[in-house]
Amino acid sequence: MSCSPFDLKDYFLQELPSSQRVKLEAHVKTCLTCREELERLQLTGAALFSLRDEEIPQRIAFVSDQIFEPSPLRRWLSGFWGSTARLAFASAAMLSASILYFAATRPAPIVDRPAVATVAAQQQIQQQIQQAVSNAVTEVEARQAEKTKQLVAYIEHQNVETLRSVRWMAGELDANRKRSQVRQMAMYVQPGESGEVK
Amino acid sequence: MIFRAVEDADLIRQATRGNVESFNLLVSRWEKRVYNYLLRITANREDALDLTQDAFLKAYQNLRKLDDPGRFAPWLYRIAHNEAYSMFRKRKPETDVEEIEPEATETKITVGGSSVFPIELSLAVASALDRLSTDQREAVVLKIYQGFKFEEMAEILSCPVSTIKSRLYTALELLKIELAPMKARGVS
Repeated sequence: MSCSPFDLKDYFLQELPSSQRVKLEAHVKTCLTCREELERLQLTGAALFSLRDEEIPQRIAFVSDQIFEPSPLRRWLSGFWGSTARLAFASAAMLSASILYFAATRPAPIVDRPAVATVAAQQQIQQQIQQAVSNAVTEVEARQAEKTKQLVAYIEHQNVETLRSVRWMAGELDANRKRSQVRQMAMYVQPGESGEVK
Repeated sequence: MIFRAVEDADLIRQATRGNVESFNLLVSRWEKRVYNYLLRITANREDALDLTQDAFLKAYQNLRKLDDPGRFAPWLYRIAHNEAYSMFRKRKPETDVEEIEPEATETKITVGGSSVFPIELSLAVASALDRLSTDQREAVVLKIYQGFKFEEMAEILSCPVSTIKSRLYTALELLKIELAPMKARGVS
């Protein structure tokens, strides 16, 4: 059982920070048990390292192949996204394009949306127009009838007046004719009354 | 090491733009390590070579999905691990993957009857590794031979670090019992 302040295996595996390594090394110098345990671990490590790495029997190399090679577009995109300046430019360009796009397409829905309701609205407007025209015609006809009635009344009144005037004139004419006859009769009945008879 | 990592990242970027030669250079840097990782978990050269080729082909086809080129190694090993376990499942579909053992259960790895590791200690190591479970052996291979950190191993094997540690510590205890005395006696 180790009495080391830190794990000897962590030390052996080089996972201890340098400050802890120093403390552990100082402890191992004074502790026989921990020193023997560390020696066993180091012997184990040395034994493990006797197993050498082998050379790879066949070198691996890739050739340029359309199947595996990124397409020119993907390579361009990869390079493009790898550049901060170009990424910023692309962002600005996309923002501008978005603004232009929305500016260009914004009126479209406004035009399209009423188009759905146009038929009903036009029918309603048409009905209103017809109603208004009908009302106006009725009103004009009523006004015209009133005027006609007034005109007829005026004409009848004028006719009555004219007839009265004609009757009066006929009466006057008749009276004048009678007066004239009376005057002529008087002339024939009293001839000596004049200077010539004398 | 840092310089090398940057170079790998550059090669990955060039390969994602369709530069096959950059990917071939990347393959040449990693093929031996991936092959030996697969050889130690499959214990079969032909399988290891086929799986290595498949792993690099998948890596090439999916290179654009690698978000961080600095994580290329765990990502590549994750692909190799998946390829190996896919093969295990195809060959033994009725068996739980956790129970799958490599096909070569002899005390040494053989191909066509020829000895791969003629030295006695190497045989003992191969034998001791064979006696580990698949998970324990893979943990030892990734840590001892491939030098991955616990976090990278967790990423490759898609399991928590605590699980990785548990497998590794158990494996070390078993290996220590078998190998430490032999090494102490000076067998090599």
